[in-house]
Amino acid sequence: MKKVTRRAYSALLLAGLTILGLIIYVVSYASDGGDWALFTANSKVYYNGMINVGTVKDRNGKVLAYADGETHYYAEDYDTRISCLHAVGDYAGNIGSGALKVFRTKLAGYSSITGLKEGGGTVTLSIDSDLNSVAYKALSGRNGAVMMINYKTGEILCMVSSPSYDPNTMQVPDGAYINRCIGASYVPGSVFKLVTLAAALETIDDIKERSFYCAGSIQVGEQTVTCTGTHGSQTIEQALANSCNCAFGEIALELGGETLSDYAHKLGLCSEHEINGITTKAGSFDIAEDGSSLLAWSAIGQYNDLVTPYSMLRYVAAIANGGSVQEGTLLKGSGSSSTRLLSANTAKEIASMMDYTVTTAYGDNLFPNLDLAAKSGTAEVGDGTSHSWFTGFLNDTKHPYAFVVVIEHGGSGLANAGALANTLLQAAVGEQTNG
Amino acid sequence: MDVLSSYIISASGYLLPVLALWLLVRCVRSMLREKYEPEMWAYFEAKGGERAVIKHWESLIGSAKTSDIIINREKVAKTQAALIRDADGDWVIYDLAPNDGLISVSSQTDCGEGIRISDGDKLDVAGASMTFHTLSTKQRAAVEKKRTSPGFFVSPAVTLFILTVFQAVLTLQFSVSSTREDSLNIALAFLALAIIQWVYFLIMRAINYSGFETEFLAFFLSTLGLAVVATSDPETLLKQLIMLLAGLAIFIFIGFWLRDLKRAKAARWPMAVFAIAFLALNILAGDTINGQKNWLSFGGFSLQPSEFVKVAYVYVGAATLDRLFRGRNLFMFIGFSALCVGSLALMGDFGTALIFFATFLVISFLRSGNLATVILAVSAAAIAGFLVLTVKPYALDRFSTWRHIWEVPYDAGFQQTRALSAAASGGLFGVGAGDGWLHSIFAADTDMVFCLVCEELGLIVAICAVMAIIVLGLFAVRGAAQGRSSFFVILACAGASMMMFQMALNVFGSVDLLPFTGVTFPFVSKGGSSLICCWGLLAFIKAADTRQNASFSVRRGSKRSRSEGDSI
Repeated sequence: MKKVTRRAYSALLLAGLTILGLIIYVVSYASDGGDWALFTANSKVYYNGMINVGTVKDRNGKVLAYADGETHYYAEDYDTRISCLHAVGDYAGNIGSGALKVFRTKLAGYSSITGLKEGGGTVTLSIDSDLNSVAYKALSGRNGAVMMINYKTGEILCMVSSPSYDPNTMQVPDGAYINRCIGASYVPGSVFKLVTLAAALETIDDIKERSFYCAGSIQVGEQTVTCTGTHGSQTIEQALANSCNCAFGEIALELGGETLSDYAHKLGLCSEHEINGITTKAGSFDIAEDGSSLLAWSAIGQYNDLVTPYSMLRYVAAIANGGSVQEGTLLKGSGSSSTRLLSANTAKEIASMMDYTVTTAYGDNLFPNLDLAAKSGTAEVGDGTSHSWFTGFLNDTKHPYAFVVVIEHGGSGLANAGALANTLLQAAVGEQTNG
Repeated sequence: MDVLSSYIISASGYLLPVLALWLLVRCVRSMLREKYEPEMWAYFEAKGGERAVIKHWESLIGSAKTSDIIINREKVAKTQAALIRDADGDWVIYDLAPNDGLISVSSQTDCGEGIRISDGDKLDVAGASMTFHTLSTKQRAAVEKKRTSPGFFVSPAVTLFILTVFQAVLTLQFSVSSTREDSLNIALAFLALAIIQWVYFLIMRAINYSGFETEFLAFFLSTLGLAVVATSDPETLLKQLIMLLAGLAIFIFIGFWLRDLKRAKAARWPMAVFAIAFLALNILAGDTINGQKNWLSFGGFSLQPSEFVKVAYVYVGAATLDRLFRGRNLFMFIGFSALCVGSLALMGDFGTALIFFATFLVISFLRSGNLATVILAVSAAAIAGFLVLTVKPYALDRFSTWRHIWEVPYDAGFQQTRALSAAASGGLFGVGAGDGWLHSIFAADTDMVFCLVCEELGLIVAICAVMAIIVLGLFAVRGAAQGRSSFFVILACAGASMMMFQMALNVFGSVDLLPFTGVTFPFVSKGGSSLICCWGLLAFIKAADTRQNASFSVRRGSKRSRSEGDSI
């Protein structure tokens, strides 16, 4: 009998394999259960292919969208609906990067412990819908992108893309489905000088002792690179304030295309980024031939340069935050990882030069009561018009905000994007002080 | 009311897994904690007074370490002889290497192929002499009295009470479920189930049996099965209950039938004939439902012959130890297996064919202990399987979508994607009995029942269901060491393996870890034939449990058996 009873233990092999299979299932459940539960055939979550549970709120608790299992609703007022459209997304799923799609697991109230929550869950965005309304109104129908981030926490406070539409009436202008903050890239123009500046500060030892002479244009080979004015003799700091093409063209020729490209990549302008699982568009930087005028143009944000507004904001937020960026998040209080882009020293130097730029070149009176550091850009797009850029941050521990404003074909950077930025910042700071 | 019912659902959602785990732990604990003492039937005494106790009805004598009585002498074969207590209670020695002429018994009474050995006889194995002693009635009674009965450490009444509370909580969930209008019928069904199990328990207790772990696990699984029917097809609740009663009756019948080994052995041939005839009838007159010709209908009543043949198959596969060492026996069984598996493949029931094949492997390993035989069988089956797949290409579809269901969620992956989606929706504690949506998908209450339980009762309860079957398997193995006859050991292990394998195919098929074969989860899947079959297999596990007073299918040294001359 011993023989037979020993063989009986072979049945344990089957039991062991079954338990192994069970473990594999539990592991895959823990990692993929959310995706399974959110499969579009799940009638507890979807109705007619649209998610039909959960609530999306802004950071102040205002309801931006909710569904009660049968019907879905957007925010009550028109301004909120249209300005928050790209952040919230739409139930029909036209806007791929909206919260309704990206946070649908949270919206369904799913957790691998409790499964789906009856009636769904609540997603609280980091967005302040009032700031979005202010920014959208300030765009006054012009196309573009406005973003503001808390550079200490990474929370995105404002994210507006225009053109937009009211999801209740569905009159959709061309191109309104794209969130231009993260899904479009633009010729950066002079804001790109912040990248060339970082490369120069870290690569050229005596850059701060040097003097750059501007006669209104420089000759590179057979081509001429023109400047916005005739700036005469200037330090690097003054050259940034003057946004002097001659000085930055000269620096570019000295740095070479490879170094510039390295910095464009290192500072994250040419790569995709993740915001809560949303992938942003990568910009691009083509290396022009060393010693060519194209190289000079590429260093001042023209030639083939393309930058996504969020990538620029991310870089500026790093400058504001001592060189390391708190990665962006759209969820209130979610926290995020940080990435070092620059040495603390370089960041500090660029920050002070941007501060100097506002004080001396733009005038503090344009930005009353704000301790602002910024850089404007007026990027020629080739059809005689220019994209209007303005990016910077507040040196204010109570209001650690960095921002980027792009207005398509908006003309002068300072006059248009700059003015919009002031409106937004005044609202942001005012709102905070008023509680 | 809505607020109240949502509180009830969430509170009971946490209670169900706790009760299920508690029940499971109690069953496992009684297996681990309680002693499984061997029985004592006879002993050999050597000249120096050294004793070798005979603990089973079948023992091997030889030089191998796995022999029950080890004789280390020159010339003695590894397996020299078998000592068998025959059905009449007489002891017989079978010389398994008769050409050597090493075995002799002092009284020298030949009886067919063996040599009778009686109390006081001297057995001589290659010069080693020992005296055979059987136990007197008094001695056996004294030995039996010393063995512990189950139920001392882990009271079965408490375990059953926990199960009853589990059923009550389930009933409560159904009654507060927002989507149900037939909660009264459901409550009555659970009440009936509770009554059935208590009546069974009290009757068995009254006639002094105290081991109930296997039955309780089956009742636990049947409870889940009833919940599945209640949610997916409440109109058939009564039918499911009747099938449960029929299953219980079959369980008791087979259990009592197996008490008598002689009778049990004699029924193997009729069983084999019955199995083949039933399958043949199925092939000739069967109905095709969902692409599988595995149904027989008469007068509005339909059944799946293959389920009943499962029980018969395991039964035919069992054999006593003396038979195991004769090749002829195994070849007959191989032929029988080939007939069964072939018939099932003809019907298009590949899932069941696979279960038969796996059970065949277990039985042939138990019977031969020969890995080469198993490897040979596997390679033969692989070739056969390959042929089947080329002849019946639709069977290949199941393999082509295997691990790719999310690429074809509206086509071949339809059922499993929904099953997984619903299973994940339930989380660990479930959305509440009757509140899921998977039950509206085809075959949710049979092929995808694991996911249905996950959705409504939660992953923990579903895992408890899987573990319950595994614990049944552990019981079979644990009991095997004290089994009276290899006939019972093979029955129990093959029966438990069949259940475990079938469950693995069901569970892992529905969650896309294995190809989707569409077999049932023992006791839990909806379906009468399957339920009855499972209770039949359970009787096999029960018959191997020789703990004192544990199993009604193990005859005690009672007055009745003594008068029949069963005990010496």
